[in-house]
Formats: sequence, C-alpha cells, structure tokens
Amino acid sequence: MSLTFDRPSQTTVATTVEALRKDFGDRAVTSHAVREHHSHGEGMRDAGLPDVVVFPETNEEIASIVKLCNQARIPVIAFGTGTSLEGHLKALYGGVCIDLSRMNNILQVNAEDLDCRVQAGVTREQLNAEIRSTGLFFPIDPGANASLGGMSATRASGTNAVRYGTMKENILGLTVVTPDGRIIKTGTRARKSSAGYDLTRLYVGSEGTLGIITEIQLKLYGVPERISAAVCQFDELSNAVNVVITAMQLGIPMARIELLDEVQMDACIKYSKLEGFAAKPTLFMEFHGTDAYVAEQIEQMKSITADYGGSDYRFADKPEDRTKLWKARHDAYWAGMSYKPGNQAFATDSCVPISRLADCIAAAKAEIAKTSLTCMIVGHVGDGNFHVQISFNPNDAREREQAETAAAQIARIAIGMGGTCTGEHGIGIHKLDALKEEHGEAVDVMRTIKKALDPNNIMNPGKTIPMA
Amino acid sequence: MIDLWQQQIKAAAAKGEKLAIKGSGSKLFLSPTHEGAALDTRAHSGIVEYDPKELVIVVKCGTALAEVEKAMADAGQMLAFEPPHFGEGATIGGMVATGVSGPRRAYAGAVRDFVLGAKVIDGKGDHLSFGGKVMKNVAGFDVSRLLVGSFGSLGVITEVAFKCLPLPKAEATRVFEMDSATAIEAMNRWYAEADPITATTWVDGELYVRFAGAAPAVNSAVQKRGGEALANDLDWWRDWREQRHAFFANAKELHRMSCKSTAPVLDDMATAIEWGGALRWVEADEANAAKLRYQASRAGGYASVWRGGASTHASAAQSLSEPLKEIHAKLKTSFDPYNVFAPLPLGEVAR
Ligand SMILES: Cc1cc2nc3c(=O)[nH]c(=O)nc-3n(C[C@H](O)[C@H](O)[C@H](O)COP(=O)(O)OP(=O)(O)OC[C@H]3O[C@@H](n4cnc5c(N)ncnc54)[C@H](O)[C@@H]3O)c2cc1C
Repeated sequence: MSLTFDRPSQTTVATTVEALRKDFGDRAVTSHAVREHHSHGEGMRDAGLPDVVVFPETNEEIASIVKLCNQARIPVIAFGTGTSLEGHLKALYGGVCIDLSRMNNILQVNAEDLDCRVQAGVTREQLNAEIRSTGLFFPIDPGANASLGGMSATRASGTNAVRYGTMKENILGLTVVTPDGRIIKTGTRARKSSAGYDLTRLYVGSEGTLGIITEIQLKLYGVPERISAAVCQFDELSNAVNVVITAMQLGIPMARIELLDEVQMDACIKYSKLEGFAAKPTLFMEFHGTDAYVAEQIEQMKSITADYGGSDYRFADKPEDRTKLWKARHDAYWAGMSYKPGNQAFATDSCVPISRLADCIAAAKAEIAKTSLTCMIVGHVGDGNFHVQISFNPNDAREREQAETAAAQIARIAIGMGGTCTGEHGIGIHKLDALKEEHGEAVDVMRTIKKALDPNNIMNPGKTIPMA
Repeated sequence: MIDLWQQQIKAAAAKGEKLAIKGSGSKLFLSPTHEGAALDTRAHSGIVEYDPKELVIVVKCGTALAEVEKAMADAGQMLAFEPPHFGEGATIGGMVATGVSGPRRAYAGAVRDFVLGAKVIDGKGDHLSFGGKVMKNVAGFDVSRLLVGSFGSLGVITEVAFKCLPLPKAEATRVFEMDSATAIEAMNRWYAEADPITATTWVDGELYVRFAGAAPAVNSAVQKRGGEALANDLDWWRDWREQRHAFFANAKELHRMSCKSTAPVLDDMATAIEWGGALRWVEADEANAAKLRYQASRAGGYASVWRGGASTHASAAQSLSEPLKEIHAKLKTSFDPYNVFAPLPLGEVAR
C-alpha cells in the first residue's frame, strides 16, 4: 500500500482561504512574510509555503478548520514554535498552517497531584516561569524554547532525560483534534490507567500526521532540595565517553550528563563567553536530590572521572552560575552555526547502545575527516544520543552535498550498530529513507495506521511515514 | 517457531478462524474472551541477548518472567516496574500484553516505559520489528508501546527489548500507624520532597513505605521520617505484589480503582492504597459497585472489577466516546484485518 496526495486545485484553495478569512478575520493571514515564516523550522531552509496561516484560540476553532480542510482535501500543518530540525513544517503541497501560539493558557496546576494541563501553544519556559511559586518544575528542555504541543508531537527530550525521561514518559493524556475534525481525549487524570489501547503513546511523536494536539496533561516534579552542577574536562574524548558509560552502568542517578568535544567546547567558549575553560572534551553534569544524596553522587562521580584522567570539578551551585552554564549548553547549536563566519550547520541525531557510543562517535568523526568540512560533537550521552554538527558553506553546492552524504552515512553507521537514525529530532522529511532502512516492513504497518486514521492524508502529508 | 506461527496465522486468516494467544495462563483472568485454537507462546522461549553493561535485555515472548528476573538479579539488575507474576509460569509476553506493573510503578515507571522495542506477528502473518534496543528512538510511530496492554488483540508479541536498571544498593521499609487521609497526604508530600521512595502501601491502618537507593540517602530519609522497621521486608513486598496478603485473600469481590493520587478514601468500603494514592483496591459488592465507579470518575479515573465479579470490560468500555471507539477499531483492523486475534480490549488497563 502507498499513500498519495494531490495538490488541491487553485479554486479549492481560494475557496477555503476565503472561508477561513470569513470565520477568522485577521487571524487568517496570507501575507508572504507570515507564510514564509511558517514554511520551515530551524535546520536546512528548504521552504515550501502554506497558502494561509490561521491563529485559532480554542479547540472548537481548530476542529472547524480541520473539518473544512478535510472536506476540501487540503493539507493541515500544525505549527508550534518552528524549532524542529528535519523539515517537519515544510508545506510540500501548500495548505493551511495552524499556528498554536494563541493557545497559550495553563489550564490547571494540581500541585498535590504533581501534574498540570496546558494548551499546546504554551512553551516550556513559560510553563516553568508560571509554576515557579509552587515549588514544582517541568524537566524536559530541548535546546530551543519549544511549545509543549510541538514537543509532544516530536516526542522531544533534553538534557534531563536520563533522570526524568522524555516527553513520552511525562505525558498523562492529550486532547486531540482528529483529521475529520472531532475532539477526543486520551488518558485520564488518573496517571496509571486508561481504557483500551494506549492512544496517548501513538499521538506522541506522530509529528502532526495523525491529528492536532490541543491540550496536554503533564507530570511535574518537586524542585530538588539541592541542585549542584559541575564541569569536568578531559584530554581524550574516549575517556569522557567512558566516564559516562561507567556512571550509567553503576546507576548513578545523574540529572544531566552532557558531552561536548573539543571543537564544540571551543565554539561554546567563544559564543557564550565562558571563562576558565580549555577547548577540550568536556562533561557538563548536574546532580539533584537531598544534600546527603547529592554529596554521595558527587563522590561517586569523582572517583570515576579520576580513573579516566578527568580534571578537577568546577562547580556551579548558585542558580545564576548554573543558568549560565546550561544556557551555554543549550546554545551549542547557535555556537556551531556561527563557528565559521558565513557557514551554516546542521545536526545529525544518532542514538546507539551505550557500549557502542565511543565507537560510533569515532566512526562519525572518521566520516567527516574524509571531507574538508568542520564538525563538532555534542550529546545527551547518558542515553547514547549524540549530535554531529556539520558546518558547511551554504553557497558551495559541493560542501552541502558532502555534508548531506556524511550525515546519511552517520545515520547508517548508527543503525548498523543496533541504534537509530533519530533519538530525538524525529523524521520530518529528511530522515524518511533512514526510517525505511531502520524499520523495514514495519513501515507498512505505520502507513496502514496513517491511512486508517487519516484516510484523506490531509494531516502534514509527506512527513514522518514514507508515502511509498 | 516464528515460521510455524506465521503459517498458522495465515491459515487461520484464510479460513476466517480465530487463534487464542496464551502463555501460562497466569493473567487470563484479566481478559475475558479466548476463542479458537491455542497459540502457546511458551514454545518461543529464551533470553536472546543480555549484556548487563548495555543495560538492555532482549527476551523471547514465552520466557518465564522468573527466569528473566533471576538472570538480571545475578547481574545486579532488575525490571524496575516490579511486575507481578500472578502464577508460577508467568511469561514475558503476558506481562507485556497485559501491561500490569507492580509496587514500584508509581516511582520508576510502568511496563511501557521500559519497553525499548518489540517484534510482533500481525494478523496477516508478517513478522515486524518496532523500536529497537536503544534508550531513545523517535523514528516513526511508537508502535512498540501501543502493544503494551493490547491483550493479544494486535498480534503475537514475539520478542521484547527492555531497559534494565541496577538493583538499589540499600533498601529499608518503614511502617507507620496512620488513618487513610494522613497516609495519602504523607505519601504525596514525602515523594514531592524527593525522598527516595520506591513503594507505598496503606492497608489495615498502616502505611508501608519502602525507601531505596544509595545508603546515605536511604538512611537520612529513614531518620527523617521515623516509623517502625519492617523485618522480612522482601517477603512482605513480594506477597503484596502477588496479592497473597490477607487483604486480597479475604476480599470476595475486588475492584481496582485508578484515580488522582490525592482522592479521599470511601469510608464504607474496605480499601487498600498503593502507588502513592493513585491505585486503590476496594472491596465492593454489586450494590455499591455503581457508587464506586461514580466516585472513581469524580476522582478523575476508573474503577472496575479485578477479581470475583462480573466482567470489568463492559463498564470501562462505556467510558470510551464514539470517536475513540472508532479509532480503536481502525487500529485493530490495521494490525489484524481478518480478525484472527482476540477482540479489542476495552477494559481498564493498569499502566
Ligand atoms: C537550538 C535547538 C536545540 C534543540 N535541542 C533539542 C533537544 O535537545 N531535544 C529535542 O528533542 N529536540 C531539540 N530540538 C528540536 C526542536 O526544538 C524540537 O523538535 C521541538 O519539540 C519542536 O517544538 P516546536 O514547538 O518548535 O514544534 P514545531 O517545529 O513548530 O513543529 C514540529 C512538528 O510537530 C508538529 N506540531 C507542532 N505542534 C503540534 C501540535 N500542537 N499538534 C500536532 N502536531 C504539532 C508540526 O506539524 C511539526 O511536524 C532543538 C532545536 C533547536 C533549534
């Protein structure tokens, strides 16, 4: 079976846009600038413009837009904050972009039950700012200030995943507008229960191809009594990696453990004006718990890093120092972008079994060494997940091609080691081939599910699941 | 074995017949209908891959849960969701298909949170592989987790990869005499205050709290909270998990209620509490079962018969809206177009 989609006729598009203008007034926008802004995420800029961008404010408004599009067979593409990296947002067949930024209310915070319900357009930073006074926090922190709807749709994770999990472990339930414009709720307030199939897990990570997520019930966590961040530097990348492997195997409950290689560290020092660090392979770490527990974890880690020739620790215990450190880590992408003047960069996203991490990083570096390109490595290595940021000159077709070939090869290496082509960024359009390579025939079942739940293939067509 | 099953499934599909997937039968009481020739998963058994350093174990469906737990314990690791066996031969396939987790669930996560990937034979006889054996994978739809709690309705789960965690270095259980309201408040607050808690149960006027982790963390929590030390704690938690505790033995008709963790207890029905308040075991007869279900829905959850009463599935199915029922049917058809496997499970599932 294959999926198909035909670009709707000009007349159909015009009629739909007209209908949306009538219903939404100046919240249905057709200006080129706004359409362009909504035609891509971060990453490679291969824009494909939607025909109109609508800014709904309620679940019912979204349902009405989707119904209209389903009748007219026009694509619907949800837009959170536009930080996705794999071409998720490109309007391959034009259509209607639903921008969720006005759906930005926190609907409930249930402090005793450690959960909350938010509209899809709430960003992770907004949520944490608004719940600060409750002593709770939401841990998942992709490098960008993404929307919680977008994070749900991409099954995002961040620097805290080793300890707190990814989006998939932290979503209790969803409200979704289905492709035929109905509003459904999955999951319940009761975290540990649901009737029938676990639909929440199906929608989480479906990249807008099965429905529009409008509300999310999320787990929250108590801010730990003690938070301590530390930095340790190494002469050899492999030593830093081995520290991570050992820590994971001993089950030290690190809240964060992030690796930056010497090039990435150089870029971050320059971009974020970090002082007192050398451009060497580096681990950024964070420990959460009671005073006693944190002290114990640090002692254990120190003995491991000493075994692998790590430097003394630089601690960041004060909130402002910690913020600076983690901001520098989150800005690693932008540091990579601006490392070579005039260059662009994009990131691979392999995740491999932890014992293969050192091999995989070495093989990835060897792949880049075959080219004239510069690359740097940064990763949530506690999960076996790392990114190679490849810097290239966008005006040089050969460099871009080299970069893309190397990235595809790095994905293949990871799959060959029993890993995946994407640990957190998703498939979008750029990883469709890699998905086939990784999942083989299972992709047919995914396609069957897509066809069953979205028979007219209007939800973000051409993304996530290869059409044929 | 896989080949044989594929042929069996294709033949059943061609003839419009049904197959009943079963392992040891330890959890059959949770799923009402089993028609057709038996497909015994125990024929496909064994640990496929286990390198403790990898923190991943790959197991065939018919492998005894006890065998897997033994292998992991020998290497100092565990399945962190502490799965109940409910019978000697309980298999890994049954554990995943029912998705039932034990006492540690509220603190470590559920079965599905530890499933990294799965292989399944669908109703057309195709053997497919979803997810993998790495900690994070966002390639395509998350089908391996959809299989958790699918009660064999989507296909034969043939192999599953799980994330392993190290066994805690230290463990101590403390007992506190408390009424239910005080216990519910304590369970929630202590957890929010980051105590290293891995299990909580309130039964017969006593709160049992298991602290586990690094020794200093456990010691300081125990000192802070007090309570009486529980001897035989390993046996106590095993009996609780396997529902051999007197509370379960004495209950004639037992209901399982999931709700928000702070919901108050219904005074007129014998109740035990676990999972930090989010799971309640309630003894209710037919007369007050309706009231219990009503209270559960007010507390944001469900109640359904667990043992000894009319089928759980009918009552929970009513709570699914029309569009949700349609989506369920479409998913079922996507995997099992010829209806070879058991019908759609609409009962409340413990996740
Ligand atoms: C500097 C930088 C660092 C990053 N670091 C990380 C990281 O550490 N970990 C990580 O996982 N990702 C990371 N990312 C990627 C990106 O931030 C995540 O994928 C994020 O989840 C996208 O959220 P968004 O709101 O921007 O979604 P968008 O980019 O707007 O959309 C992403 C996809 O989800 C769909 N979508 C959006 N909202 C909805 C909705 N409400 N309902 C249905 N579908 C929807 C879209 O149609 C699209 O397919 C990073 C990106 C950047 C630029």
